[in-house]
Amino acid sequence: MVRQMANIFKRYKRGSNKEQYTDHNKTGQNKSEESNKKEEHVEEWEKELSRSKEYKKTFYINQKSGRKFHFAFMASLVDEKVLDNNVLPPLLEGEFHKIADVKKLLPIADVELSSSTADIPKKLLRGYVMLTIEGDTSEFAFISAHKQIVRSVTAPEIEFSVVGPKEAFVEAIGHNLNLIRQRLPIKELIAEELIVGKLSKTKVAVLYIAGITNEEIINTVKQRIKDIEKEEIADSSYFTQMITDNGNSPFPQLLDTERPDRVTSSLTEGKVVILVDGSPQALIGPTSLTEFFNSFEDYFLNWILASFIRLIRLFAVTFSILITPLYVAVVTYHYQLIPKDLLITLVTSRRVVPFPPILEVLFLEVTIELLREAGARLPTKVGQTIGIVGGIVIGTASVEAGLTSNVLLIFIALSALASFTTPVYQMSNTIRILRFPFLFMAELWGLLGITIAFCFLLIHLLRLTSLGFPFMEPIFPFRKQDFKDALFRFPFKDQAYRPQFLRANDAERFSKKKAQKKKDIDE
Amino acid sequence: MNSSVPERFQISPYMAAYVVVAMQIGIGALGFQRIIAKDAGYDAWISVIGAGLVTHIFVWMMYKICEAAEGDVIHANVYVFGKLIGNIINTGFIFYFIITCTAVVGELIEIIRTWMFLDFSPFWFAIIYLLLGIYIVFGGFRTVAGISFFGKIIPFYLVFSFGYALKYGDFSNVLPIFDHSFSQIAKSGYDMSLSFLGFEILLFFYPFIKNPEQSKKWVHIGLLATTFVYTGLTVISFAYFPPRLLERSIWPTLEMWKIVRLPFVERFEYLGIANWALLILPNVAITLWAASRGVKQVYHISQKKAVILIALICLMISMQIPTRERIQIFLNLDSQVGFALTFLYTPILFFSILIKKKVKAK
Repeated sequence: MVRQMANIFKRYKRGSNKEQYTDHNKTGQNKSEESNKKEEHVEEWEKELSRSKEYKKTFYINQKSGRKFHFAFMASLVDEKVLDNNVLPPLLEGEFHKIADVKKLLPIADVELSSSTADIPKKLLRGYVMLTIEGDTSEFAFISAHKQIVRSVTAPEIEFSVVGPKEAFVEAIGHNLNLIRQRLPIKELIAEELIVGKLSKTKVAVLYIAGITNEEIINTVKQRIKDIEKEEIADSSYFTQMITDNGNSPFPQLLDTERPDRVTSSLTEGKVVILVDGSPQALIGPTSLTEFFNSFEDYFLNWILASFIRLIRLFAVTFSILITPLYVAVVTYHYQLIPKDLLITLVTSRRVVPFPPILEVLFLEVTIELLREAGARLPTKVGQTIGIVGGIVIGTASVEAGLTSNVLLIFIALSALASFTTPVYQMSNTIRILRFPFLFMAELWGLLGITIAFCFLLIHLLRLTSLGFPFMEPIFPFRKQDFKDALFRFPFKDQAYRPQFLRANDAERFSKKKAQKKKDIDE
Repeated sequence: MNSSVPERFQISPYMAAYVVVAMQIGIGALGFQRIIAKDAGYDAWISVIGAGLVTHIFVWMMYKICEAAEGDVIHANVYVFGKLIGNIINTGFIFYFIITCTAVVGELIEIIRTWMFLDFSPFWFAIIYLLLGIYIVFGGFRTVAGISFFGKIIPFYLVFSFGYALKYGDFSNVLPIFDHSFSQIAKSGYDMSLSFLGFEILLFFYPFIKNPEQSKKWVHIGLLATTFVYTGLTVISFAYFPPRLLERSIWPTLEMWKIVRLPFVERFEYLGIANWALLILPNVAITLWAASRGVKQVYHISQKKAVILIALICLMISMQIPTRERIQIFLNLDSQVGFALTFLYTPILFFSILIKKKVKAK
């Protein structure tokens, strides 16, 4: 189907170029030749479209004027109920003499009159119905009767929260805009539309709040979207890979979310949001590393709880990346490093294991990755079974068979568990990959190797930018003020200013003085 | 020669302090105690404070030089002495940074080989370590400043590890105070000044500071912090080691870690050395950056090519210094060149540039 459409389009494009070319030459020639050309052109695209069976052309006769009129449309894209109930009756029974009457007769807002043949196929393929009157090809009308198949709004699955709103984006950009606009009913919320993709003609909306968001960010985003050379955009994640600053980094540099509430709050911070038609994920930028470890649920909880949970997550990430490399480093090189009692436990558990530590760790790490991948590919119910079978059976069996030590099994399970605490899916994948270079360096040079790998990671993060803004902010460049909502989440009354690094046009969210009236005892 | 730098490549004023401190505290902090105690004995902590205070005067001069030349020292040298002599002096600076980089890498390898891995390939380690340095320099000066920041902030926890040595220390070792002559204390001061070297980097990155006037305060605070750290280390080491033992310790700082005992870490020096690799990284990055920027300005080669070339030179030299004796000779050479450029040449340049300005004004 897609290929068929692609063919149609390719041919059409060639045709349209020719048309432009002839248009250019026609100056000074008489009008009948011009209309001849037009008809030829109409025939050309009609021929191409009619190769698909969905292309329909029907005719009716108006009862009052007796004029014959045609409908041309793609049946798969048009809601025939609209056509039968809203469009046909007035056209059959009303005073219909010429094309211009359509506007008066039809109860549909989206009706366009046009005389240019160039955008006929474009309109037909977007779900419009073309209306022509027999004998008059100079002018025609496009009536919107687009049938859009959209699933209903469901609860967020990736960024689920126990409390708070339970709405997630869907695939239709119009619905997503609706979800956002309901939360921000202000005229300053701008949604600029761009079309990307030579073949897919994907609608992309760039959202921002005028007067708050820095123009530099908006221009960067729009420019980068315009520069995209791709024929098809399937999802917003294509954008993450194509408009980011460094495409060769494992770190996502744009935050993707399925929560309209998260999008809204980012917009009010002065960020730019990108919505892509056909994708239930919105992109937020510029973002920073710490933001990937913030769940939106943090804002629904008391600030003390939220800060505590954020710290736990940070600890989990560090633990998840470092624990198995540390095991390899210690067992391979630095067994003197750990105290005697602990060493005894370790040695006893490893006594029967015939492999060097690195193989032992790789064996289990790969097993966990396999379980995860299998669980992700299988249907939900089977996936759960696989998780239990894999986790318990393979783990216990491999320890009993003497392939791995049970201390390591605990570490691996804990680190896998810890890696799932990262709230943003793309980042949690990155975290899972990161441990492998650390493992190899630990095998090579022990603790020193881990330090070297850490240095490399640190430099990489330092060099990363998100839409031109430093990725490590607020840790480096160090901005004390932005710590209010990074590693910790301070109370709302302390969030009177927008994040400094965004250089918002209007830095103040609300008057801090009003929010913090000092009270004395018993007043 | 235009030395103005666009704002987006510049760093905040307070970051200047991190770059200076990162350059000052490096490999030397592991083993300076024995050397300074040679002359002034356990009065050497006075020399540490003295030398630390002297650095402030030189930093003040450096700011004056850069302000007068409206750029870095490369600019200033050419401005004062003309193109030929100026560029010869600049080449001297470039060589100084190359040998400093090599000395740092060489000494780090030496320590790792002595304390961690006896059979350890210096060649591969040097390659990887220098590659890290190149990767930083490719990110521009902001990345260099960033790694200076993290290279000092993350290993900061090591400060607490000296608390264990404090517990077993005997401060009466330091008594009686002032039982050495002034000349002995001054001699130790000279030895100590070599450990304080590194702040001359200010002459190079001055154009990269966003608001140089504001940075003065921070850089002086940074110098004070360095003096404080070195004085603290000196006093703790003097309390911990009896004089006879200190005479035979090449790396007293490392030896003090042996006493640290945590519930899950027995040999703390392993952790310490591994962390020192991060602490040293800014030194390599900054020297590579300064040398390559010098080459770019003097010889008009792109900085990318220059930094790779310089790293190769460092790699080759560091392969030639595999033994303790050779490294010691090399370190001495490095500190003598550093002393000459910083403590002797800076005042000369300072007065020459003042005279030149006056002559020009007339």
